[in-house]
Amino acid sequence: MLSAMLRRSAPPLTVFIVLVTAVLAGCERRGGCTGANCGTLINAAIGEPATLLPPSSEDIVASDVGEQLFLKLADVGMSENTLGDEDFQALLAQKWEWDGPLTLVFHLDPRARWQDGHPVTAADVEFTFNAYTDSAVASPYRPKLRRIASVTQRDSLTAVFRFRERYPEMFYDAVYHMRILPAHLLRPVPRDQWRTAPFGRQPVGDGPYRFVRWQPAQSIELVADSTFFLGRPGIRRLIWRFTPNLQVAVQQVIADQADVREQLVTPENVNRAREAKHLAVYTYGGSVYTFLSFNQRSPDDSTKPHPIFADREVRRALAMAVDRASLVKSALGELAKVPPGPMSALLWIWDPDIRQLPYDTAQAARILNAHGWRDHDGDGVRDKNGQPLAFHILVPTTSVLRKQYALLLQEQFRAIGVHAEIDAVEGAIVSQRTKSGTFDTAILSRSNDPSPSSGIAQSWTRAGFGGSNFGRYYNPEFERLVDRAVTATTRERARPLWRAAIETLNADAPGVFLYALDNLAAVHKRVDNVQFRPDSWAALLRTWRIPPDRLIDRDRVER
Amino acid sequence: MGAAWLLRRLVASIAIIFAVVTFVFILIHVAPGRPCPENLDPAVCNELNRQFGLDRSIPEQYWRYLVALAHGNLGYSFADGRPVRAVIAGTIPFTFQLAGAALLLDFLLGLGLGISQAVRVNRLPDVVLGNVTLFIYSLPTFWLALLLLLVFGEKLRWFPVGGASDPVLCSVVNSLYCVGDRLWHTVLPAFTLGLVGAAGTARFQRAAMLEVATQDYVRTARAKGVPERRVVLRHQLRNALLSFITRFGLAFPFLLTGAVLIEWIFAWPGMGRLAFNAILSRDYPLVTATALIASTVVVAGNLLADILLGIADPRLRVRADTDLVPTA
Amino acid sequence: MTFATWLALFVALVVAAEAVRALRHRGLRSESWRRFFRQRTTSWGVGILTFLVIVALAAPLIAPFDPDRQLDILHLTNHSPSWTFLLGTDFLSRDIWSRVAYGARVSLGIGALGALMAVSLGTLVGALAGYYQRWIDAVLMRGVDVGLALPRIFILLMAVALWDGLPFPALVITIGLTSWFGTSRLVRAEVLSLRQRDFVVAARALGADTGRVIFRHVLPNAAAPIIVSAALSVGNVLLLEASLSFLGIGIKPPGASWGNMIADGALSIYTAPWSTVFPGLAISLVVMSLNAVADGVRDALDPREEPA
Repeated sequence: MLSAMLRRSAPPLTVFIVLVTAVLAGCERRGGCTGANCGTLINAAIGEPATLLPPSSEDIVASDVGEQLFLKLADVGMSENTLGDEDFQALLAQKWEWDGPLTLVFHLDPRARWQDGHPVTAADVEFTFNAYTDSAVASPYRPKLRRIASVTQRDSLTAVFRFRERYPEMFYDAVYHMRILPAHLLRPVPRDQWRTAPFGRQPVGDGPYRFVRWQPAQSIELVADSTFFLGRPGIRRLIWRFTPNLQVAVQQVIADQADVREQLVTPENVNRAREAKHLAVYTYGGSVYTFLSFNQRSPDDSTKPHPIFADREVRRALAMAVDRASLVKSALGELAKVPPGPMSALLWIWDPDIRQLPYDTAQAARILNAHGWRDHDGDGVRDKNGQPLAFHILVPTTSVLRKQYALLLQEQFRAIGVHAEIDAVEGAIVSQRTKSGTFDTAILSRSNDPSPSSGIAQSWTRAGFGGSNFGRYYNPEFERLVDRAVTATTRERARPLWRAAIETLNADAPGVFLYALDNLAAVHKRVDNVQFRPDSWAALLRTWRIPPDRLIDRDRVER
Repeated sequence: MGAAWLLRRLVASIAIIFAVVTFVFILIHVAPGRPCPENLDPAVCNELNRQFGLDRSIPEQYWRYLVALAHGNLGYSFADGRPVRAVIAGTIPFTFQLAGAALLLDFLLGLGLGISQAVRVNRLPDVVLGNVTLFIYSLPTFWLALLLLLVFGEKLRWFPVGGASDPVLCSVVNSLYCVGDRLWHTVLPAFTLGLVGAAGTARFQRAAMLEVATQDYVRTARAKGVPERRVVLRHQLRNALLSFITRFGLAFPFLLTGAVLIEWIFAWPGMGRLAFNAILSRDYPLVTATALIASTVVVAGNLLADILLGIADPRLRVRADTDLVPTA
Repeated sequence: MTFATWLALFVALVVAAEAVRALRHRGLRSESWRRFFRQRTTSWGVGILTFLVIVALAAPLIAPFDPDRQLDILHLTNHSPSWTFLLGTDFLSRDIWSRVAYGARVSLGIGALGALMAVSLGTLVGALAGYYQRWIDAVLMRGVDVGLALPRIFILLMAVALWDGLPFPALVITIGLTSWFGTSRLVRAEVLSLRQRDFVVAARALGADTGRVIFRHVLPNAAAPIIVSAALSVGNVLLLEASLSFLGIGIKPPGASWGNMIADGALSIYTAPWSTVFPGLAISLVVMSLNAVADGVRDALDPREEPA
């Protein structure tokens, strides 16, 4: 009965289905945008942010979107020079001057407007500073602003910054970390609810792009503000499309369903991108370094030293047992470098000649033997006083590369009689355990600001205890050198100081610095004037263009 | 099957849902790990805990939850503060789309295969199809998904690589073109789910129809000289259909939260993926709400299947509250 | 692959084939066995299962390399299948054939143990419910309803994802504890119908105590659906473990399980498809064989006539 019915009506049914599909497929809206400022750029983003409110989020996607929506007072230039104020680009602030050694005065551009029409005023700047430094907002950028005493408004277009002390990067600290927020819209929101405020899901900014919509779990769409006072953005629409992991994101770009993937990460992805005819691959430095962190305090009781890692010689031996160059070559090919210390290639202090511990398994074995770590019970693992030289490596499940490295490290350690177990847990648990110190070792990634001062102090000095110095590394000599380097007035003077400081840190082996990824991005060939600033790839998106003769279907859509 | 039976079943269903929600609530609150997002410092974390009432005892939190539930308030998601109802409502259209398409494929293909196999039992088409369905039924769905995505999505570019819609034109469905776009995006994930389901259905249907075939009334009809076609189509089909209805009632709920892997691989914004992320980030209100909805649908599906069976086959009404068909 | 490992592989294949042949011969004497082997797929299923079980048990002899050993991270990563590396190597230059062999231990082990637990628990509960009826039945079956109302993967995700680093036994127990509901319903239905049969009534009339009646009289006659359910359960548990490992919350690295091998291989699926295809194929073969065997058991123990 059923089959008979199907058989009889099959041909007309099939024809009907085919027709409908053809009609639907052909019914594409060909819009009318055919000029110099058209274009749709789809970014295959990984993960979805929780909020777009700048002080409440360190999420990469939120930060990239925030780059388009909210302006800073000024920003670093392509040279990434953070000393003084000559190499900075004016944004919200039209000009500035020093009114005494500790006072910086900014004059805002009168053309700047919030997207609801209100002008941007110095009151917004004052409000923003107070919000960023308010403990109720709990912004991760708060520690970076600690050397600014106050921000006040002199008149509606003049904001005054007062510092606590004098140092070379005062201007950088004043402008780089904060995105100016609309006081008139955010004042009513209680500070402790900023993280979940509706504004974070429907932001109103003053930047080159305007927020259009956020489809939960799918995409965020922005449209260009054609009246933007610093120049109309080249590409009309920006869409961030959320994908669950790197592989799907890369697949989308290769299948021409997305235009940009700002980081390809693995050599395989890079090869695939290079083979794809419609994609161009760009290199733009890297701002992240990844390392194995040794916890020098006991995981069970942070007042006691770690039974294995509190011993400097053991740490040095373990660091010497890792063939970092081979690991990089195996996992990443030519796409990453072995860092000479806790830094990425973005930092100007990068210098492969900085003294580091060599790869020398014989020496490592000798040191361990000399310190009593021998294989007394013949099980292949060294031990001392009944305690085996065994520990756990904590790794987030979301990072494919770090998991791979954990396995590689496990093997390297096994070769010298050290037993490492891998704990692959979710990112939230990694954060929790590293913050509370309940770990032996962990493979962590750090992102560098263009300046070494804030990052290195946060992660490797006593100031970072309870913050990002999870391993509780402390060397007073190192801190002295860092202080001097940070206050040096020119790069020439700072360089040898930084070098000495890093060499001191390397000798202590608070961790093993594994790789610093070079960023390789895949961008659709039709996009012109692609500029990447190494510290933030999306910072110059508004300068990208799609020439009218290279428009494709999704660019022409008018809405 | 009177009102008494229905009432008893309804009461039992509500009790079951209640038990499920309680169980999930306890489980997630007892599990280690607190829902504080990554870089919040401990003082603020404690404040947040206080705000959400997480510092109170579990029984007290449970009571407050029930009270809120009675007011129709499902709570607010920890991740972004949006009301849970809105968050889940956002995923429901996508979940239904995927589940519907998968079930349609499952039904059409599976039934068709099963019936055509049973009609030509033990001859070559049956044997070949039997082996094919056996193989497909045994495939891990996520493996199949990866392969299909690679071949059809990336290499052949016939279908999109994940996602539920074209972000450029159709993030909101506002034209016929967008309807077509949605369908196009649904094909691969639905095909993955539906294909494996269809293989299972085909096997099941074939067995069910063969069982019916040997029953007396069918053999009697055949002995009486009634044409083969009619025997097959009228008796076997009808009774086999009954078994299918029960399977359908039970398959649908599975697709709600059981399709986690497929949704993950295809970046499909459905309830399964939502539940998975919520569990990992310990978003308690979202997790309990998802459990509530999932169990409600399961229980409702069971009830519906039983009612349909009762209507379709009077013989089954007598054994009113026993379980009619064993589930896998 | 050394000569020894080739020999071991060959021996395993031969033993499996011989086992099937021997069973079929023996089977010719009994009606049920004949029915069991009627379909060709059942023989294949038995053969494949035997082969994989032998591989799992004799993994140290059959596997040419240590499954966790990274052979040469600079030159042998993602190597295509060759005479040395039968199934190729993965992204960390580990031999895939060795990992499949050792992974068989893990996956089959979890499958068998989990299914054993699930079926035992399900049989117990179902038998009690079906035999005693009344309120015991009502309570137990409502409990089963609750268990069935929650999608299994949801509960498993919660249990496994929330308590990180669950050791292997805990994982098996958790899977077992969530997989017994269907079996209990099945057994209950069987027991309900068997209860009325003469031999049970007679046994009770003769004064046999309940336990004896259940275990010696009722259950053996309910064997067919229980065995079928067991065979299918192993397959289900296997797929479940693979899914969890794929999501990253099952067997943790570096331990090889077919599920996490698929996850590892998924990244290089484009350039090195063998690292995903072979573990997936292994899972499919096992589940297929189990299903074929279950079909055979059904055919053997539940006779029905084929229509002419």
